[in-house]
Amino acid sequence: MNNVGDMMNDATDTQAESRADAPALAQDTLKMTARNVDVYYGDKQAIDNVSIDIGMENVTAFIGPSGCGKSTFLRCLNRMNDTIPIARVTGQIELDEKDIYDPAMDVVQLRARVGMVFQKPNPFPKSIFENVAYGPRIHGLATSKSELDEIVEKSLIRAGLFEEVKDRLHDSGTALSGGQQQRLCIARAIAVDPEVILMDEPCSALDPIATAKIEELINDLRGKYAIVIVTHNMQQAARVSQRTAFFHLGTLVEYGETSDLFTNPSQDRTKDYITGRYG
Amino acid sequence: MNTAIASSPDRQPTDWSADAMQRRIRARYRAEKRFRFYGLFAVLLSAGFLAFLLVTMISSGARGFTQTQIALPVNFPASDIFLEPSQLDGDDRDQLLAQTDFQGLARQSAIAAYGEDGPAFLSNGAWVLLRDAVSEDPSLLTRNETLWVPASTEVDFAARGDSGMRQSEERDTMSTRYAELEAADQVRRTLSWNFLTLADSSDPTLVGIWGALKGSLLTMTITLLLAFPIGVLTAVYLEEYAPENRWTDIIEVSINNLAAVPSIIFGLLGLAVFINVFYLPRSAAIVGGLTLALMTMPVIVIAGRNAIKSVPPSIRDAALGIGASPVQVLTHHVLPLSLPGILTGTIIGMSRALGETAPLLLIGMRAFVATPPGGFTDPATVLPVQIFLWSDELDPGFVEKTSAAIIVLLLFLLAMNGIAIWLRNKYEQRW
Repeated sequence: MNNVGDMMNDATDTQAESRADAPALAQDTLKMTARNVDVYYGDKQAIDNVSIDIGMENVTAFIGPSGCGKSTFLRCLNRMNDTIPIARVTGQIELDEKDIYDPAMDVVQLRARVGMVFQKPNPFPKSIFENVAYGPRIHGLATSKSELDEIVEKSLIRAGLFEEVKDRLHDSGTALSGGQQQRLCIARAIAVDPEVILMDEPCSALDPIATAKIEELINDLRGKYAIVIVTHNMQQAARVSQRTAFFHLGTLVEYGETSDLFTNPSQDRTKDYITGRYG
Repeated sequence: MNTAIASSPDRQPTDWSADAMQRRIRARYRAEKRFRFYGLFAVLLSAGFLAFLLVTMISSGARGFTQTQIALPVNFPASDIFLEPSQLDGDDRDQLLAQTDFQGLARQSAIAAYGEDGPAFLSNGAWVLLRDAVSEDPSLLTRNETLWVPASTEVDFAARGDSGMRQSEERDTMSTRYAELEAADQVRRTLSWNFLTLADSSDPTLVGIWGALKGSLLTMTITLLLAFPIGVLTAVYLEEYAPENRWTDIIEVSINNLAAVPSIIFGLLGLAVFINVFYLPRSAAIVGGLTLALMTMPVIVIAGRNAIKSVPPSIRDAALGIGASPVQVLTHHVLPLSLPGILTGTIIGMSRALGETAPLLLIGMRAFVATPPGGFTDPATVLPVQIFLWSDELDPGFVEKTSAAIIVLLLFLLAMNGIAIWLRNKYEQRW
């Protein structure tokens, strides 16, 4: 295993040459790195030796057929896999050069820094305000009621939901439409001011118009947060991401600039997938 | 793609208007109607039973809350008791009252007022009221006063026009005497606070339900305070923290079996453990509460586990995903969301505990307790046991008291469940 400093240098060097274990990351600030990550569910290996760099300025998309491990890998990035008793993660994942699987890493704090948006909108069965205020409240981010109000308002504005709900902040969050609920979940995630936002197929339960809104939102959020999005939809990956990683059967097949990967894939498997041979 | 089925050459198009098809459709509608009818029938049947129960209970129990009283003129100064009001100012007041023959006074006064069979008109405990009246107002001793005292069961039955268990001649004389008394305004029927403020007695005209009601209250308090937190914590641990291994399997099976164990076994357990090992007092609310808590806890655990299990995992993910700690996920989300289910289990468990008689008999709560319990360790009895004891009494006067006690028990149950349902709805409304 290379030491961290080497990897950093390689990765932050502009136009670094492609390396087998550390795909290049050009013109970006390195936020998260994964090296030789394996994930096992019991005896079954779900992720096999994945190494990837995630940049601050870009939206990174994970694509691949069902069961290829892209969601599993995403959930390693904020240790959500800890909640599955039989899951076992080996290898190294770092956030700002700190190993997130280190016993000294506080998982609660990690998840505040690496927020997550799930496949199905899952607002708490509470009011819209409470949904967004919950995170800041448990992390003590607001010292006064007015500060909390401000965080909630700002997060809802950022998630593009404020105009639609400003008159009914105290209505139930579950009464919103699917797309609004998903934006509420994004607002909830950004309310704790994370550095990275992981999105696990955030549009798979939404209609095309709601999907378009979320994609627009992802575009707006780019640059403020490092965003990783898992998607089934290759057009969506092409539309919202700057980098794309193609997963297949638990391995990372190819990782590169989205435009390159879609127009000029270097691997046959990638080519077969993006041209619709399987999926 | 789907050409294979449609263009298959030997397949006839479905004739939806054919007889067989129409018959099948009609049969389906009939089945649906029939099914609805069964459901309605079941509902009406149970509603009918409930109405029957309530009507019989209320019609025969309502009288239990009232009392037939008879006017008893007492001439204190002329009586055989030699007490001066001033004597009752001292410290030996209770002793003096205890030494005084109020029983004789009641008898004397009854004979004076109603002739030789006068004492038979009075309740055996009528003298107690004389004593209490004097104790409250010593100046009575200098006056000639008419007091209303409980009438005997015979008078009470005559008032109802009921034969009781008397022979017919006796009944006839009693009803003629009663008619005379009534004409002279010497009997009255009033709402009896005694029934709601006194405890058990051997005289049906003097029994009260308060002793048993308070016993039930104390017992249920102990049961709730123990079974609810222990049950919920057990459910939480088993659902959220326990590793899946043989031990937790064994615990799970044991708890499920515990919920099905006949209640009398819990009584034996309570006797063996709480009384014989820990030397807790017999007949006390605390032992009853502990025993019933053992019985109620598994019900709460099972309901609690199901309620916790039914909280959607997406809610846990959501909370964990923004950095809530496992305890925060539990207390902020999982428990509030499962509270309605937990409360439903608690209602079922507590209702069962409230109506339980058998285990309490074994730990001595069937004792004759003539004073309401003052605390958790005083001898007490509970409503269902009191009902059981009264229903066993020979004196026919207990019949309506038993029904009245049943009404009190049902009201207690309604109040308890009402509070729990109110709480449950309150928490359900929040979402």
